[in-house]
Amino acid sequence: MSINSLLATWTGKSAYWFLHTFRGGGSSLPGKLALKLDPAILKHLARNYEVIVITGTNGKTLTTALTVKVLREQYPDILTNPTGSNMKQGIVTTFLTAPKAHQKPLAVLEVDEANVIMVTKYITPKAFVFTNIFRDQMDRYGEIYTTYQKILDGVALAPDATIIANGDLPLFNSKKLPNPILYYGFDYQAAGDEHAPANTDGLLCPNCQHILHYRSRTYSNMGDYFCPHCGFERPQLTYKLNALTEMTPTSSDFEINGQALHLNIGGQYNIYNALAAFAVGRFMDVRPAKIAHALSDNDEQVFGRQEIFHVGDKDVTLILVKNPVGLNQVLQMISTDERPFSFAALLNANYADGIDTSWIWDGDFEKLPELNIPAFISGGERYRDITFRLKVAGVSEDQLTVIPDLTNMTAAIQNLPTKQVYVVATYTAMLQLRKQLASQGIIDGGMA
Amino acid sequence: MTYTLNAAHLYGDLMNTYGDIGNILAMRYYAKAVDATINVDLVSLDDEFDPDTYDFALFGGGQDYEQTIVSKDLQTKKAALTAYIEAGGPCLAICGGFQMLGHYYIGANGEKIAGIGALDHYTLSQDNHRFIGNITIKNAETGQTYYGFENHNGTTFLGKGERPLGEVLQGNGNNGQDKSEGVIYKNTFGSYFHGPILARNEALAKRILKLALQRKYPDADFSALDELHEDLTKNVVIKP
Repeated sequence: MSINSLLATWTGKSAYWFLHTFRGGGSSLPGKLALKLDPAILKHLARNYEVIVITGTNGKTLTTALTVKVLREQYPDILTNPTGSNMKQGIVTTFLTAPKAHQKPLAVLEVDEANVIMVTKYITPKAFVFTNIFRDQMDRYGEIYTTYQKILDGVALAPDATIIANGDLPLFNSKKLPNPILYYGFDYQAAGDEHAPANTDGLLCPNCQHILHYRSRTYSNMGDYFCPHCGFERPQLTYKLNALTEMTPTSSDFEINGQALHLNIGGQYNIYNALAAFAVGRFMDVRPAKIAHALSDNDEQVFGRQEIFHVGDKDVTLILVKNPVGLNQVLQMISTDERPFSFAALLNANYADGIDTSWIWDGDFEKLPELNIPAFISGGERYRDITFRLKVAGVSEDQLTVIPDLTNMTAAIQNLPTKQVYVVATYTAMLQLRKQLASQGIIDGGMA
Repeated sequence: MTYTLNAAHLYGDLMNTYGDIGNILAMRYYAKAVDATINVDLVSLDDEFDPDTYDFALFGGGQDYEQTIVSKDLQTKKAALTAYIEAGGPCLAICGGFQMLGHYYIGANGEKIAGIGALDHYTLSQDNHRFIGNITIKNAETGQTYYGFENHNGTTFLGKGERPLGEVLQGNGNNGQDKSEGVIYKNTFGSYFHGPILARNEALAKRILKLALQRKYPDADFSALDELHEDLTKNVVIKP
């Protein structure tokens, strides 16, 4: 251990103690300070850990939370980073502030796609989990192929680590890699022959550049894909969802490799997250029955990017959206709600939201009129864009309330005709709404 | 519906990166006001483009990889697309689609990728730099202002018979040098605007829609479109 890393560790820990004690926060500054003193501090801090890195554009946070739950069934010492702290500084802070660990503790880290290499420069993970790669804030990171390449640049420094990847995504089968790879995916539907909808990304066969076909499809460009032209197809799955019994907005029942599972979170996309957690659990020798116990455990509700609160007599579910695939999955999830509900969409275009709002046109808002929704709200700083989007999708003016200023949201929610309300919001719109709700004592003031 | 337009969404399964489909959705929305409907065909790899079938063509932008594949297939449609454009067929080409109607553009690895030269522009690339951000332009013949979002590495230079869609008021435009943004050639419109452009610019959406309707139904009266105005603040409870 060098003097530098000792000094860096001490500085980071002191900064955290100070911030935590006097400011009630401190998620990236301690890491930042420690990194200034010793850029290789991670090597020192993580030296005793077995590390599992979870990356991809969508579902990282929930997959990480579920994986930690699953592994805790068997491993008492697990370190993980809090939501949003998935870049270098946040990860360093996570290790700096870890409680004293025993022999060989585990660390399950959510890592931003472009930051995988920042981690693998100093840590050799035991495994990587690739959730998916969808179009996400392209004004920052570019295309799905460049995003995948960024991840692979990081993985290249750990060629022996096992990759646990979503087998339903063609991109994850497009490059020959030295690493051992285990795939998970959906395998419960009868085989047919279909195309993905035209307005979908990543439909080209990586081998011969023809449009892929699907024996069955889940959503976006995911499913049991094959290329009739060259024979490229989905790889053999090690972890298969072999039955899908029931889906509601708040739960799913399904089987993986014959093990019945109940998940207290709705949405098909969360079943993928559970599949990933199951796969990591099995990879780490957690018994299927124990995994089932962990996933159905309701003590510590894991919502990921959604949150439930009450405004007057309304039950409001607030869901973060940031790209078309995520949005479409939310629409799919709420369509399983049999109760009457109202729908609000809040759009901002600040840096953290993605400054290009074009993606709302790739979202399948056209589904909304089929759901018999009696009332809609459109709002946020880009209320004009989202209002027009809803109108074009077929929402009639009589059903629509426009709320440019989110401080009026609670009043608008109280005026809605249904008890159930779904609010989808981009990141800063969500923060503004939460701030408003906190100031009215409806929710706690902390960050989501 | 009294009137029907047939639209070709060129490579809609590959060139669909920035909400390009929104251009057709917006046109269809305004078309309802004059009792018109728009049918959309996907015209993609190995498909034929029949210039006599279509009243409107949308050619969106794609990812670098998809665009190189499209560039090859596009050569098989070169004659048909050129004939359509020359005959005054209304067309909207965005970003990569705009580039590929011209002679060539420079790909991600510095390679020259062929367009079809239906329009006389060409596109170079910037070294490790993109024009990213909000953009505002003014269209010369109508005085209309158009708003959008640009995100492109390519720098496009217009050629013979081409005039810009607008003069850049804010942002970078075609090349960051000559204040031009996009192109108009006959009834073909090109632009770097995401937004998508017709969803954010009612006047332009109606202008192109009217062109297409008038071309197919020369004796019909579509002036009702001019009186239409989309009021997005109508349902605001408390005005901003």
